[in-house]
Amino acid sequence: MSTFDASTLVYVLQIVIGGLLVGIGVHFVPVGGAPAAMAQATGVGTGTVQLATGSGLTGLISAGLMMSVTDNILLIVLSGAVGAMIMIDVTMLVGNWVYIYGVGVPPVAAKTDYDPITKDPQPPYISPGTVGHGVPTVSYVSGTIGGLMGGAGGSLIYYALMNINGVSGLSAFFAIGIFVVNAVIASYNIQGTIEGFHDPKFKRVPRAVQACFVATLIIGIFAVLIHGGA
Amino acid sequence: MDMVSMGLLAAMGALATIAGTSEDLESDVGSQSNPNSQVQLAAQVGHTHRIYNKAISGEPPSNALYAALAAVTASVLMSDPYGMNAFFSIAVGALVAAVFNGILSMTSYMGRNTSQARFNQHVYLDVLRSHTTTIMAHAYITAFCVVAISYIMTAPWLPIQHPFPLPVIAFTWGIALGAIGSSTGDVHYGAEREFQQYPFGAGLNAANSGDIVTKAEAGLRSSIDNAWFCAKFGGPVTGLAFGLIVFLDNWRTTIFDPATQGWYAILTGILIVILLNVYNRILEIRSKKRYGPYPEYVGDIKA
Repeated sequence: MSTFDASTLVYVLQIVIGGLLVGIGVHFVPVGGAPAAMAQATGVGTGTVQLATGSGLTGLISAGLMMSVTDNILLIVLSGAVGAMIMIDVTMLVGNWVYIYGVGVPPVAAKTDYDPITKDPQPPYISPGTVGHGVPTVSYVSGTIGGLMGGAGGSLIYYALMNINGVSGLSAFFAIGIFVVNAVIASYNIQGTIEGFHDPKFKRVPRAVQACFVATLIIGIFAVLIHGGA
Repeated sequence: MDMVSMGLLAAMGALATIAGTSEDLESDVGSQSNPNSQVQLAAQVGHTHRIYNKAISGEPPSNALYAALAAVTASVLMSDPYGMNAFFSIAVGALVAAVFNGILSMTSYMGRNTSQARFNQHVYLDVLRSHTTTIMAHAYITAFCVVAISYIMTAPWLPIQHPFPLPVIAFTWGIALGAIGSSTGDVHYGAEREFQQYPFGAGLNAANSGDIVTKAEAGLRSSIDNAWFCAKFGGPVTGLAFGLIVFLDNWRTTIFDPATQGWYAILTGILIVILLNVYNRILEIRSKKRYGPYPEYVGDIKA
């Protein structure tokens, strides 16, 4: 049996920070759920967990490639963040193409009268009987931040696990699992839909931080033990 | 950067574009994902229909399942006792994924429609026969392309050398692809094709939920008609999205060697992200200028 050492704590801490980044990052991702797929709500027309996981795991692929050639934590985490940001940005952009050219509606936010970034008025562009549609600038920027945090968080978890066992496949799968747990907790907190950081639901972040902290701490300890740390 | 790497990168982008298109059309034929809510609701508000109704799960988990199944099968066939050629291994793997998709689609269709018998919704055996094979064919193309991309990234004799095993990387791309298909192309099906009787240029009014088009130009509308429509725009742009993601994400690590020029790769990625943000803003301004405010709007805030 191996003995407990300080590096175990560092790994658990890295996993917890990664989990918290994912949990908070999901709150930034603008998703409208099923209504958004009918241009009935602002945001991307899919589920919170689905989009956040899709972008975070694209980041994980980038981080995995980077970690195979370097040990620099900053490079690995940033590589994951950039991969996730590219995924979520392209998805939101193409989503907007479909809203604008396929459905004929401009991107507009419903939870604010004026876009906090561009100061554009929003209500005149909301089609009747809906609560906004598409991904306006404020939601787009918010989604980019969400991708950054999700990608960085997933990569940090992967980095910690890789340092323990050195097996990329196993580490990647555990990282995916921890990522999804935090994304689901955050999704419950925002009840499935959110427009971005300007949405009143965003104020619920502290609650998600608490829940994600407890969940990731427990999973982190078990993940480190299972992977052969301590 | 060498010519082989650039060629492989181009091949990955092309495969991803095909995968994205077929993934979106597969979900459109089956009415999977978010627009399924309207198909499910239609019978309950009095519109019985001949639209295929499968909601196996959200698209990302189901696509991850198919991609991982195909990749595991291909890995086993390529490994030692069998030693099958990679191309044929991936083809057999994709076939296994398509068969699984067919089984899940059929049980899903029959389960959903029989549960709506009280709303006079029938199980149409001809729909089951014609549509399930169409769904499987699209799923085959998707699984083949995703596993081929993953193989290019992991094959020991090719330059990229990603550390993840083939099934894990296929699983990951499967989730990403499902998320993209669900976020982009499905909107064209859910917001436009399902509600074509309402004027172009508006989201679905909540009061009209479930009022989907059930009649076609001649006879009753089927889900293959829907795929025909979505293949004109929703499908190809989904392909473009996935192609762009696979291409851009790998391009920056192809032109800059991550081992020696890692920071350049990251800076290039950040530049791409900034450009995408700027382009989205231009798109927003242009669309608002072109379409203008809604005439029904009566609030105080001026456009």
